[in-house]
Amino acid sequence: MIGQVLAAAVGTIAFSVLFSVPRVYYPYCGLIGGAGWVIYCLLITSASSPEATFFAAIAVILLSRLFAVWERCPVTLFLIPGIFPLVPGAGVYWTAYYIVTDQLGLASETGFMALKVAVAIVLGIVLIFQLPQSLFSGIAGLAPAAWKRRRDKKTNRKERIGK
Amino acid sequence: MNEREVLETAMEAGHILLENGAEIFRVEETIDRICRYYGVDYANAFVLSNGIFLTAGNLRQQYFAKVQHIPVSGAHLNRVAAVNQLSREIEAGHYTVEEARKTLESIKTMPGKTKRMQILASGIGSGCFCYLFGGSLLDSAAAFAVGLILYLFVLYISVPRLSKIVGNIAGGALVTLLCMVFYHIHLGEHLNHMVIGAIIPLVPGVPFTNAIRDIADGDYISGSVRMLDAMLVFFCIAMGVGMMFTVYSRIGGVMAL
Repeated sequence: MIGQVLAAAVGTIAFSVLFSVPRVYYPYCGLIGGAGWVIYCLLITSASSPEATFFAAIAVILLSRLFAVWERCPVTLFLIPGIFPLVPGAGVYWTAYYIVTDQLGLASETGFMALKVAVAIVLGIVLIFQLPQSLFSGIAGLAPAAWKRRRDKKTNRKERIGK
Repeated sequence: MNEREVLETAMEAGHILLENGAEIFRVEETIDRICRYYGVDYANAFVLSNGIFLTAGNLRQQYFAKVQHIPVSGAHLNRVAAVNQLSREIEAGHYTVEEARKTLESIKTMPGKTKRMQILASGIGSGCFCYLFGGSLLDSAAAFAVGLILYLFVLYISVPRLSKIVGNIAGGALVTLLCMVFYHIHLGEHLNHMVIGAIIPLVPGVPFTNAIRDIADGDYISGSVRMLDAMLVFFCIAMGVGMMFTVYSRIGGVMAL
C-alpha cells in the first residue's frame, strides 16, 4: 500500500506539471493525491468502488479547499490534479475491452460501474463545495503563527517576482 | 479614469481565466471585482464556456458592449493563479489600470512548462498510474516509455494538426499499439494494466472537473458543454483502444490478460 500511495502522490505531481501548476504548490498536490488514495485503499476492502471513491473524493476536495484558502489561490490548482487518481480511467478501458471482445454483459456491468464512480466524484464535489468558505478560513486561521509568518514571507516573494 | 480601459482590462482578465481552465463563476467574479474597484458600477458580464459578453453604462455613463469568442484550449493553471493573485492585489489598491493592463499582458505570455518537462511528466504519470491500478514494476516501466511517446505524439502531431476527435482516437490507438509491441517483446507482463496507465495523460480531467463545478454553481449551459467535451474525449479514447484491439484479434493475436 505504501508503494501505491507514493505512486499516487508522484502521479498527481506529474499531472500538476502537465497542467502548469506553479512549482511552489507541488507538495500540496502530492499530499492531496496521496491522501485520496490512502482513504480509497482503506475503504476498498470493505466497501464498493463507488463508495470508496466517494469518501476519497471528499478527502481530496476538503484538503484542496483548505490549501486553497491557506495559500490564497484558486482551488482548481489542487482539485484537478488531485482528483486524477480517482477518475475511472480503468473502468472506461475495461468497458471498451469487453465491448470489443463481445462480452456485452461484462461491458455493461463495468460501464455502469465507471458511471457510478463518476457520479460518486460528482456528489463529493457538489456536497463539499456547499460548505461555507468561512469554515475553511477558520480552520486555516488555527494554524500556528510560525507557519503563517513563513507563508506570508513566501507570498511576498511571489509578488516581487510577479511585478 | 477611462471607463473603456477598465472594461477592456476586465475583459482581458476574464479571457485569460476562461481560456486556461478556470470555472465560470471565477471569471464572472473577477470581471465584477475589477470593474467595481475602478468605479464602473453598471457592468454586466455574461460568461459561457467559450465566450464572454460584457456591457456597461446607464443614462449617465457611456454605453459599452463587447463580445469575445474564446475557443477552448489547454489548461495553464499557473495563469489562472496569476490572474487571481492580480485581482486580489487590484482590490488591495496596488495597481492603476495601466499597470494592471501591462501585468495582464505579461501573464498572457507566461511560459508553461517546457515541452521536455511535459513529456517527462506524461511518462512519470503513466508509470505511476500503471502501478496504482495494479501493474508490476516492469509494466510501469513500459507504461513510462509509452507515456513519453504518447506525449511526443500529442505535442507535435495531435494538438497542432488533428481535431480533438481524431486526435484522441489516434492517441488511444497509438497507446494500445505501443503497449502491444512492448508486450510482445516481453517488456511488460500485463497488457491491460500497461494500456490503462499509459492512457491516463489523455483523460480529460480539466473539462470533467470544471463541468461538475459549473453545474454545481448553476451554470448549466457551460457545465453541460464541458461535460459533453469530457464525455466525447472519454468515448474517443475508448474507440481508439477498441479499434486497435479489433485489428489485433483479426490478425490472429491472442488477447492475453
